[in-house]
Amino acid sequence: MSFEWPWQYNFPPFFTLQPNVDTRQKQLAAWCSLALSYCRHHKLYTLGIMEVQECPVFNHKNIDRKLSTEAILIVFEELRKKGNLEWLDKNKTQCLVMWRRPEEWGKLIYQWVSKNGMVNTVFTLYELANGDDTESEEFHGLEEWMLIRSLQALQTDGKAEVITMDDGKGVKFF
Amino acid sequence: MHRRGVGAGAIAKKKLAEMSKQLETFKSNLEEFASKHKQEIRKSSQFRVQFQEMCATIGVDPLASGKGFWSEMLGVGDFYYELGVQIIEVCLALKHRNGGLITLDELHHRVLKGRGKFAQDVSQDDLVRAIKKLKVMGNGFGMIPVGGSYLVQSVPAELNMDHTVVLQLAEKKGYVSVSEIRESLKWERERACHVLDHLLKEGLAWLDSQASGEPQYWLPALFSELTSRDVTPEEANQITP
Repeated sequence: MSFEWPWQYNFPPFFTLQPNVDTRQKQLAAWCSLALSYCRHHKLYTLGIMEVQECPVFNHKNIDRKLSTEAILIVFEELRKKGNLEWLDKNKTQCLVMWRRPEEWGKLIYQWVSKNGMVNTVFTLYELANGDDTESEEFHGLEEWMLIRSLQALQTDGKAEVITMDDGKGVKFF
Repeated sequence: MHRRGVGAGAIAKKKLAEMSKQLETFKSNLEEFASKHKQEIRKSSQFRVQFQEMCATIGVDPLASGKGFWSEMLGVGDFYYELGVQIIEVCLALKHRNGGLITLDELHHRVLKGRGKFAQDVSQDDLVRAIKKLKVMGNGFGMIPVGGSYLVQSVPAELNMDHTVVLQLAEKKGYVSVSEIRESLKWERERACHVLDHLLKEGLAWLDSQASGEPQYWLPALFSELTSRDVTPEEANQITP
């Protein structure tokens, strides 16, 4: 399924940080939304500032408009405030994008586990994210750092326990 | 000797009786007309236009008061009242996008869409009348003539002649620049900037500083690509009350 661009994407001023405060608020909200849906669609979990500038989202070649680095950082700061982004380094060159928050992933995973009557079973992390059984699930292919955070969220809720096994980590669901 | 039944008083009485009878006939004819055409009023926009024009020639405004004879008899008032409500709904739903300014074309398109396949036909003439009524009721509505049609304003943004004229200039391409204004309207730079700043402030225009040459001011209301796009659930979540 191809990605559906919002109307703002073809609107040239969308790529200029708006001087009017109210308009800017709407603009930033739309950018946050667009960035997250794009990452979700392409299953992107980490972003590097350098590549991001050339990414079609922020660089719309067809209308010859691009979001400045300054503006991109402002958008990312908004995402960070909302809990959807985390910087990996102090220089802000790499970040984690959480278009779905760990708690939300945890919920999805647990739903699958209980739906298939697999509560009280132990899974390796690999089985969960990359096994054949989960191929059609949304969390299939989830990167390990996110998977661990999601399971930790479940652990806090008392619904799972992350265990260390011989060759890696695993999880038991309750 | 005086004869009975003759004299000014008697003639007047007779005339009154005759008139009274005529009025009765007139009234029942009218009721017949009304019931026959009630359906047509609701169904046909052409009929409504002709009906309105007929009323205008005899000096009657069927929408003048909700409790008027015509509006009660024929339900004309109801029709325009409901349409007015629908117009307000459409404008509210899109206000966050276009700042409260919408072309009559787009409004028409969306009203028709909202009414569904089997609903009554609504013409642009109907919309204009309904909006005029809304305006009279003090709902902050206004209509700005641009390029042969209208821009409908649904928020009481203060727009004076200068603003209106710039909107009309912007209508062609959906955007306008300071030099275009100076060239077409022969204004001083300061006057042009003042108007453009106001449009930005009212949320009617967005700034594009990456245009070649000089900044351009774009109006979402005139952005043709936008007019057929529905409000997505995501967008709806962003709408601040």
